[in-house]
Amino acid sequence: MDSALIPKGVKRCPTWQFLLWIGIVGAVLLWGVYAMLLCWIKGLNQTNMNDYYGFALWIWADLAVIALGGGAFFTGFLRYVVGKDELKNIINYAVLIGFICYSSALLILAIDVGQPLRSWYIFWHANVHSMLTEVAFCLSCYFGVLCIEYIPLVLENRQLDRVPFFHRLGHNMHEIMAIFAATGAFLSFFHQGSLGGVAGVMFGRPFAFREHLLVWPYTFFLFTWSAAACGPCFTLLITHITEAITGKRLVKDNVKDLLGKISGWMLGTYIIAKIIDTWYWAAVTAPSKGFTLMEFYSDNAFYGIWILVTEIVICGVLPAVILMIGPLRRNRPLFLSAIILACIGVCLNRWVMVLQIMAAPVMPFDNWALYLPSWQEVATTILPVAYGIILIMISYRYMPVFPQEQELNPVVE
Amino acid sequence: MKEGHNQIQTSKFGMVIDLDKCTGCGACMVACMSENNVPFREDESDKLLSITWMRVYQISNGKPYPDNEICYLPRPCMHCEGHAGHSPCVSVCPATATDYDSASGIVSQIYTRCFGCRYCMGACPYHARYFNWWDPVWPKGMEQYLSPNVSPRMRGIVEKCSFCFHRYQLARDKAYYEGRRTIKEEEYQSACTQACPAGAITFGDLLNPGHKVHQMVLPDLNHHGRPRNPHAFRLLERLGTNPKVYYLSGREWVRRAGDNYVQGEKQAEHH
Amino acid sequence: MKIDRRSFLSLGIGAAAGTALSPLPWKITDDLSIWSQNWPWTPVPQDGEATYVNSVCTLCPGGCGISVRKIDDRAVKIEGMKGFPINDGGICILGLSGLQLLYGPTRIASPLKRTGKRGEGAFQAVSWKQAISEVVDKLSSLRKEGKPHTVAGISGEREGTTGRLFKRFLTAYGSPNFMHVPSAADASEQVLYLMHGQGTTLGMDLENADYILSFSAGLLDGWGSPVRMFKANSRLKDKKGKLVQIEPRLSSTAAKADKWLPITPGAEGALALGLAHVIIAESLHNREFIENYTSGFEAFANYVRNGFSPDIVAQITGIPKAGIVSLAREFAGASRPVAICGRGQGDTPGALCEAVAVHALNALVGNINRTGGVWSVAQPVDFNWSQVWPDEPARMGLARKRIDGAGGPLLPQSLLNRFPQAVNGKNPYEVQALLVSNANPLYTMRDVESVKKAFDRIGFIVSFSSYMDETAQYSDLILPNHHYLERYEVVEGIKGMTSPFIGMAKPVVKPLYNTRHTADVIIELASELKGTVAAAFPWASYEACLKQTLGYKVNALAEDGYWMDGGYMPPDWSNAFKTPSGKFEFNLSPFKHKVYTHPEGDPSIFPLVLIPYDSLRLANDQIGNAPFMTKTVADTVLQKSDAVVEINPETGKQLRLAEGSLAVLKTPKKTVKVAVHLSQGVGPGIVAVPRGLGHLGNDRYLAGKGVNVNDLIGPVDDVVSGLDAAWGIRASLAKS
Repeated sequence: MDSALIPKGVKRCPTWQFLLWIGIVGAVLLWGVYAMLLCWIKGLNQTNMNDYYGFALWIWADLAVIALGGGAFFTGFLRYVVGKDELKNIINYAVLIGFICYSSALLILAIDVGQPLRSWYIFWHANVHSMLTEVAFCLSCYFGVLCIEYIPLVLENRQLDRVPFFHRLGHNMHEIMAIFAATGAFLSFFHQGSLGGVAGVMFGRPFAFREHLLVWPYTFFLFTWSAAACGPCFTLLITHITEAITGKRLVKDNVKDLLGKISGWMLGTYIIAKIIDTWYWAAVTAPSKGFTLMEFYSDNAFYGIWILVTEIVICGVLPAVILMIGPLRRNRPLFLSAIILACIGVCLNRWVMVLQIMAAPVMPFDNWALYLPSWQEVATTILPVAYGIILIMISYRYMPVFPQEQELNPVVE
Repeated sequence: MKEGHNQIQTSKFGMVIDLDKCTGCGACMVACMSENNVPFREDESDKLLSITWMRVYQISNGKPYPDNEICYLPRPCMHCEGHAGHSPCVSVCPATATDYDSASGIVSQIYTRCFGCRYCMGACPYHARYFNWWDPVWPKGMEQYLSPNVSPRMRGIVEKCSFCFHRYQLARDKAYYEGRRTIKEEEYQSACTQACPAGAITFGDLLNPGHKVHQMVLPDLNHHGRPRNPHAFRLLERLGTNPKVYYLSGREWVRRAGDNYVQGEKQAEHH
Repeated sequence: MKIDRRSFLSLGIGAAAGTALSPLPWKITDDLSIWSQNWPWTPVPQDGEATYVNSVCTLCPGGCGISVRKIDDRAVKIEGMKGFPINDGGICILGLSGLQLLYGPTRIASPLKRTGKRGEGAFQAVSWKQAISEVVDKLSSLRKEGKPHTVAGISGEREGTTGRLFKRFLTAYGSPNFMHVPSAADASEQVLYLMHGQGTTLGMDLENADYILSFSAGLLDGWGSPVRMFKANSRLKDKKGKLVQIEPRLSSTAAKADKWLPITPGAEGALALGLAHVIIAESLHNREFIENYTSGFEAFANYVRNGFSPDIVAQITGIPKAGIVSLAREFAGASRPVAICGRGQGDTPGALCEAVAVHALNALVGNINRTGGVWSVAQPVDFNWSQVWPDEPARMGLARKRIDGAGGPLLPQSLLNRFPQAVNGKNPYEVQALLVSNANPLYTMRDVESVKKAFDRIGFIVSFSSYMDETAQYSDLILPNHHYLERYEVVEGIKGMTSPFIGMAKPVVKPLYNTRHTADVIIELASELKGTVAAAFPWASYEACLKQTLGYKVNALAEDGYWMDGGYMPPDWSNAFKTPSGKFEFNLSPFKHKVYTHPEGDPSIFPLVLIPYDSLRLANDQIGNAPFMTKTVADTVLQKSDAVVEINPETGKQLRLAEGSLAVLKTPKKTVKVAVHLSQGVGPGIVAVPRGLGHLGNDRYLAGKGVNVNDLIGPVDDVVSGLDAAWGIRASLAKS
C-alpha cells in the first residue's frame, strides 16, 4: 500500500503489521497526551510534586533524555569535526535519537512549568546569572540545529527526493552539515554543562553544591562529559534494539566497536573525574557546611549509599573497563551489558542530582521527604517514549536511516 | 560622600526573632496570611503543599522525656543577600521574576512574570518558597476581605514572604508626600511583627544604628552581617546565604540547632 | 485550477512561512501570556479608601482591643489596637482570623426554622416576625400551663450585658434555670468566696510578679486573657524572672517555662499542699501576713503536716522529693512569687480543693493584695437596673428548684455540667424549652452523647448563634445574632484583670445578613410577652439599655473602646476580707475529700490515662477554627481527617504503634480512630489528645476533622462545689 514511500532495495514489514504496532504504541501515546492535557488544564496539582519536590520525575526525565540524546552531538562532533568517517553509518540514527530526545525534553518542560503560556519570558526577561537561562537558550538553539540535521534525512525519502527543490535543498544541507555539527557540539557542550550547573550552583543545598571553575561548578563539566560518554552508548543500545526487532544487521560491527571504544574512554576518564569530584565534595565541600557524606545516605533505604556505589562502580567503572579493553568489548553480551550499564549510570546520576537533592534536608530540624510520582507524571514521562518509538518506526520505514542496511541485507527478489 | 548620591536612602530591612519569647502560638502565620491574601484549602494537613509564608517550626533538643525541651522557630523568607545580592533564589531565576532590591534589601517576587519553573524553590534551603499548585479559591463571599494592596496569585507560580513590601511602599509614599527622605522605624513594620502577642519579633533597618534590630544583633557589616551579639544567630549561617533574619536565644542547643555541624565540631565563633 | 501535489505542498509551505513572518503568532503569544496574568477566575480585590475602625474582640473572653482596616465598606484586616491596656497592639491567632468568620460560609443569613428531623440540618428561612412569634407562642403557652420553670437558658457569658439581659429575661419570665458555660473562673470565684469572703473576680498582677508557679495553667496556651499573658511572660523574661510550669505534658507554656516539672495528671492540688508542707516546716512562710491577716493557719498547717510530707507527695505527683523541697524554697524565697491554677486554657473549673490549695500558697508567701500578687477586683459596672417584679406565674416558677441543683450558700450560681444528667435522669421536672445564646454546648460540653440525649428530651430548642455550629444544627429555631464585628457588646469580667475594666465592642461593618442583636431580640421577646416580663425591660433597644447602664462611662467607651479604673488599688487590710473573721481564711472545708482525684474508668480495661490539651491554634470554645487557623495546625496534631494523639515512644513500643500509625482510642465514653505521634513531651502511660477538633458543624474547612475530645471524657462532679472536676479519663489504645 505504502510501497511507493519505502526506500528502494530494502525490505519492510507488511503495512497491516506496521499499522498495528503504530496503533498499540499510539494508544500509549494517547494516554500520555490525556495526562498532559490534565496537567495543562487542571494544573500541576495533578502531580505528586510538592513544595519540597519542586523538581521531580519530569526534570529527571528531562535531564536523562538530554544526556542520552548526547549521542547526537558527540557522534556529530566525532564525525564532522574530528573526522571519524566510519561514523557516517550511524550518524543518521544518532541524529534521529537526539531529535527525539530533545523534542521530548522540550515537551516535558512545557508540561512541567506552571505557566507554559508565558514560558517564553525565559528569553524575554532572561537572567544571565541563571543556569536555566543558559539551558533554555542553548537547548532551543540546539534543537534548531537538530531539526536542520534531521531535515535532510526526511528529504531523502523516495517521494520527497523526487521534488527537485527538496532534492537540491537536501544536497546543499548535506554540504554544510559540518558547520551545523560543530555549532551543535558547541551548543551542546554548554547546555549539557548548564544542566549540570543547575544543581551545582545551588549553594543553599550542600548535597548539590560543587566548587566552581570560573563561573561554572564542577557538575557543569561532569554533565557534559558524562553525556558525551553515555549518549553514544544510548545510540548503540537503540541500534541494537532496532536490530533485534527488525531481525537485521543495520550497522557494521567496526562502526559500533569504534563508537563503543570512544565511549569507553570517555566514560573511563569521566568516572575518574567523578570520583575525584565526589571525594572532594565529601571531604572538603560538604564538611565545610556542616555535613558528612553519610548524612546524605543513611536516612532511608531508598537513598542509601548503594545509590552512590551503583552509580560510580557498577554503572561507571565496570562499563568503562569493558568498553576500553578490546577483547572484552568485542564480546557481544559484555558489550551490550556495558552500554546498558552506562545508560543506567547516567540516568541514575541525573536522578540523584535532581531527586536526592530535593529529598535531603538542609535545615537541621527538617526531615527527609520522599516522593512517588502520580500516574499523570508517569504517563507524561512515557509519552515521549511512545512518541520516540513511533518516530523511529516511521523514519526507519520511509527513510534511508541506515546507509549500510542494503549492503548488509541484500534483498533477494 | 560620593557625588550623585542616591536619592533613596539605602536600607537593609531585617528581622530579629527572640526565640525565648516566641510561644509558637501561630499569630504571625495568620497575620501574614490575612495581610497577604494567602489562599487556603479544605485540607492543609500536608505541610509540603500548604502555603505559609511564615511557618513556625518546632525544634527539639532531642532528649527523652522528661528532659525533652522544645523551642518554636518562626521562619519567614530570610531575604538573603548572599554575595552582593546573589541570594540562592535570585541568582537562579531564569526570568528575573525574583530580584534583590539593593535599596531595601528585600527579595521581591513578581507574580506575573514568574512562569513556575520552581528552580528557586529547589535553591532555597529554608523552604520559604511556595508554589500555587491550585487555583486560589475563596468560598463565596470570603473574597470580600481580600486586601487590594497585595494581588492574589494565580495558579502555577511561586510566592513567598515579601517582608510586607506593600507596607514599605505605603510608608515611602507617605514620607514622600510629607517631604521626608527617610521613613521612621515605626512607619514600616511587617504584619507578623505588628501582630506578635509576645513581642518576639522586631523589624527594622539593620544599617541604622538607631533601629532596634541593629542594636539587638550588632551586625558585622564587614563580615556579611554576621551578628556580634553572642546570643544571636542566623539559620544556616555556614552556607553563605547571608540572611537578614536573625534569631536570639539564651539556650545553647537552640543556637546550635540553627546550623549543621559535623560531629564533635564546635559552633563557629562569631567575630 | 488543478491542485497537484506540488502546488499543494508549495502552497502549504508558503502559507506556513507567511503566517510565521506575519505579526499574528507573536501577537497571539503575547495575548496569551497577558491572559495568563489576568485569569478571570482569580479575584482582583477592589481598591478604595482605607480607614481603621476600633473595636473590642469578643471571640474569647480575653477582651483585646482591635483595629480593623477597611477598604470602603469591606473589612480587610484585623490588627491589635495600639495602646489598649490588655493587648497593646498584640493580637492572637483567633482574633486575626475574625474576618474569615465574618465573611465565611458558616454564617447564618436569616432566621431559620427546622424542617427535617432534628440534627439533619434541613432548615427553611423564616421572617423575624414569624420566628419571634413562634418563640413567644411557646413561652406564653408554657407560662399559661404554669410551667415557666421548664424553660432553661444557656449563655456563653458569665458577665456582659447580653448575658445579664438573658438572665433577667428568664427571671422576669419565671425560670430559675439560667446557666452559663463553666470555666476556671467559677472555681476561682468559689475560692474567693471561701477565703476572701467575697465572690468577685480574682485579679493577678502577673506583670509585676517575678516568679510564676503555674499548676497546669496554660499561660501561653490561651489561659485567661491570652495576649496579656504573652506580654506578661515576655516582660518576665526581660527582667529575668522565672516561670515554673507544673504540667503532665510539655505544652507551649512548659516549653517556654524556665523549668518544666512533669506531674502525674490530677496531682496538682497534692503538690500545692506538699509545697505548703515544706514552706511551713521550714518556716519560710510570710509571718507578718499570716499572723496579722489570716485565720485558720494552725489547722491548715496541721492538715498539710500530717498528710502531705514530701515523701507522700513525691509518690502522688511523681516529682522527686528533692524537687518538691527545692521548688518550695525557691517559691518562698522569691520576692514576688505567685501561684496560679486552671488547667490549659482554664475552660474547666477542676476540683475546688485544688484551687484552694494553690491559693493557700499565695497566702503563705503573703502575696495577697500587693504588687505582683493577687487580689479581688471590684465589679466595673454597677448594674442599677430596676428590680424585676415577677408576677404570680413567674414567682411560682422561680420558687422551683433549679434543674442543675446549683445555687445556695456554698454552691456556684450555675452548674451546666449537671444539666444533661438532670434532664436524662432523676429530674424534678421535664425541661420543655431551651434557649442557647453565645454557646455551643453540643460541642464544648463533656460527654456530648449525653448532652445530645438530654437535648432529645427537650421539645423546643432555640439557638441565637451567628454560625451553623453543632447546637444551631440541632435546634428547632435559629434567631441569628449579628456577627461580633457587626454589633455592640459590653465586655467585662476579664479573667485576671487587676483593675475594674470594661471594653466596648462596636459595629465595624454593617450587618451582612438578616440578623439581629440577641439582646434586641430578648427585649422584643419580653415586650411581646407583655405584662411584668415586658415591664422588666424598659428599654426600646439594646443601645438604649447600654446608654442607661453605662452612664458617664459611655463617652470613654465610645472614644477609647474601654473604660478602666486606672487608679484602682487592692482594698486596704481593714476592708480586704469579708469573711466571718474579717481575715483571710485557710478554709479546710474543700479538703474533706481526697485532693487527688482518680480519673473515670477501670485501669484493667483502660490502662492509659487520657488528658486533653489546649493549643491557641485550635479554638475549642463556642467559636470554631477559621480556615487560616486550621492551616497552622501541625501535622503532629491533625493528619488529613485524623486527629493525632501524643504518646511516649515507650508506650508506643509497648503497644507496637509507630509514628503516624492509625490506632483505636477507647474510653468509657466512646471509641474513636486516631493517628499516633510519638512524643518525648508526655510521660509513659499518657495519651494527650488535642482539644478543638472533631467538629460536625460549621463549614467544610472545619467539619469532619479529627475527634472531639469532649466526646471521650465525661464530667465528674466535685463533691464540694458540684463543678466539673474531671481533668481526663482512662483510655486504651490499640493498633487499628
